Amino acid sequence: MTTNEPAIAVRDLHKYFGDNEVLKGIDFHVDNSEVVCVVGPSGSGKSTLLRCVNRLEEPTSGKIFVEGIDITDPEVDVDDVRSRIGMVFQQFNLFPHLTVLRNLTIAQQRVRKRSKNEAAEIARRNLERVGLADREGAYPAHLSGGQQQRVAIARALSMEPDMMLFDEPTSALDPELVGEVLATMKQLATEGMTMMVVTHEMGFAREVGHKLVFMDDGVIVEEGVPGEVLAAPQHERTQAFLSKVL
Amino acid sequence: MKRSTKRRLVRGVFYAVFVAVVAALVLAADWVAIQENFLDLSTLEETWPAIVTIAAKNTVVYTIVAFVGGLVGGLLLALMKLSPIAPYRWVATGYIEFFRGLPALLVIFAFAFAVPIAFQWQPPGGNTVPALIGLIVVSAAYIAETLRAGIQAVPKGQVEAAKSLGMNPLWTMVSVVLPQAFRIVIPPLTNEFVIIIKDTSLLFIAGMAIESRELTTFARDAVSTTANSTPLIAAAVMYLIITLPLTRLVARLERRTQRAR
Repeated sequence: MTTNEPAIAVRDLHKYFGDNEVLKGIDFHVDNSEVVCVVGPSGSGKSTLLRCVNRLEEPTSGKIFVEGIDITDPEVDVDDVRSRIGMVFQQFNLFPHLTVLRNLTIAQQRVRKRSKNEAAEIARRNLERVGLADREGAYPAHLSGGQQQRVAIARALSMEPDMMLFDEPTSALDPELVGEVLATMKQLATEGMTMMVVTHEMGFAREVGHKLVFMDDGVIVEEGVPGEVLAAPQHERTQAFLSKVL
Repeated sequence: MKRSTKRRLVRGVFYAVFVAVVAALVLAADWVAIQENFLDLSTLEETWPAIVTIAAKNTVVYTIVAFVGGLVGGLLLALMKLSPIAPYRWVATGYIEFFRGLPALLVIFAFAFAVPIAFQWQPPGGNTVPALIGLIVVSAAYIAETLRAGIQAVPKGQVEAAKSLGMNPLWTMVSVVLPQAFRIVIPPLTNEFVIIIKDTSLLFIAGMAIESRELTTFARDAVSTTANSTPLIAAAVMYLIITLPLTRLVARLERRTQRAR
């Protein structure tokens, strides 16, 4: 990994769904080992922005650099790019027909071409990291939502990614299960993982985030140090949003 | 009249009508003729054991061949129909609409006689093999639609999760989508299997050699040689022995998938 390049750099990104412009020229970057939290009302385009970074959504125009490589270039191997970017979804998206261990090893074997034993060893290490070493034989349906999301984090980590994307990772969880997932994410942040987190958890943003980005209506309205933005938002749209969620 | 009395009366009338219809049929039927023509033990003895060792065996063999062939063809068609490449979609859609829109008997007939002429091919064992190809072709069209529905029923998030881990489209399909799709379509697929069992009776149109006859052809042949209809009843019983456990299985599988949701 080159240290002088930002992990993620987005230049003048536009995204249309049909005639609807969801991203209206986004410029933004995430540095190495930085935790960037993206907040904003629903429909503001924050999830779409996140999903453009590993091209689950195809940008309409603009450029996205991941570790200095333009991933919007049609010549780029998008599977290779994705394998270096871990992603955690709101709905967990674990593979329900596979055991926890197999969820963690399948992509390692298929994509990283690791041997079964090597993949299992890495998987077990990551299950231990998220505190679920004893559940490797279980199926996703037998786990709580919080446990499923921690397995999903461990699955992404097993690919040994350079950075992690989180798309509202706690929004589908019962309130009492949110804490365990946030604790796992916080631990990752302290280990120096580069993270881009779309979230409504302002407490997490303040405590763990290095940068807070507020989006509304397809544009970045305001960004800065989370504590400062949350305490003294400069823009009236930020003020209006924060007055509702805090 | 009290409401409960009225209800009992209506119920009583329904029972009476049922009993009357059954009684009328029983009285009107010629039981001796039925017994002689449909339930004649000596005729039954003549068909034994060939009805099992040849006819039922062939029905099962043809069913398995048509189902496996239809599954392979159907999977190919389903993937083509969902392909991003437009000509593949057109071919698959055209094929499926064409063969689902025709009577299976017509397709089997056409394949049994037209294919050997078109390709100047002398099929071994008469026209049974090209007729069976016709049955495979029809089954593939129906199974393709079942599988396509199953593939589309797998949540989009599953594909996204696989992609986000760097899996290419082939691995995503093989190790994430298809295993889940097959689980979803087990009940309708078992139904397809039962339909194919019954559709093997259409192979009679090919005019089969004695050793390759399935249940219906065998029974028709036995009816004409013995001048007695008992073999039809025997064939019917054989079909039910094969299909009933399977339809019960479908019902059980459907209950199970409903519970799982």
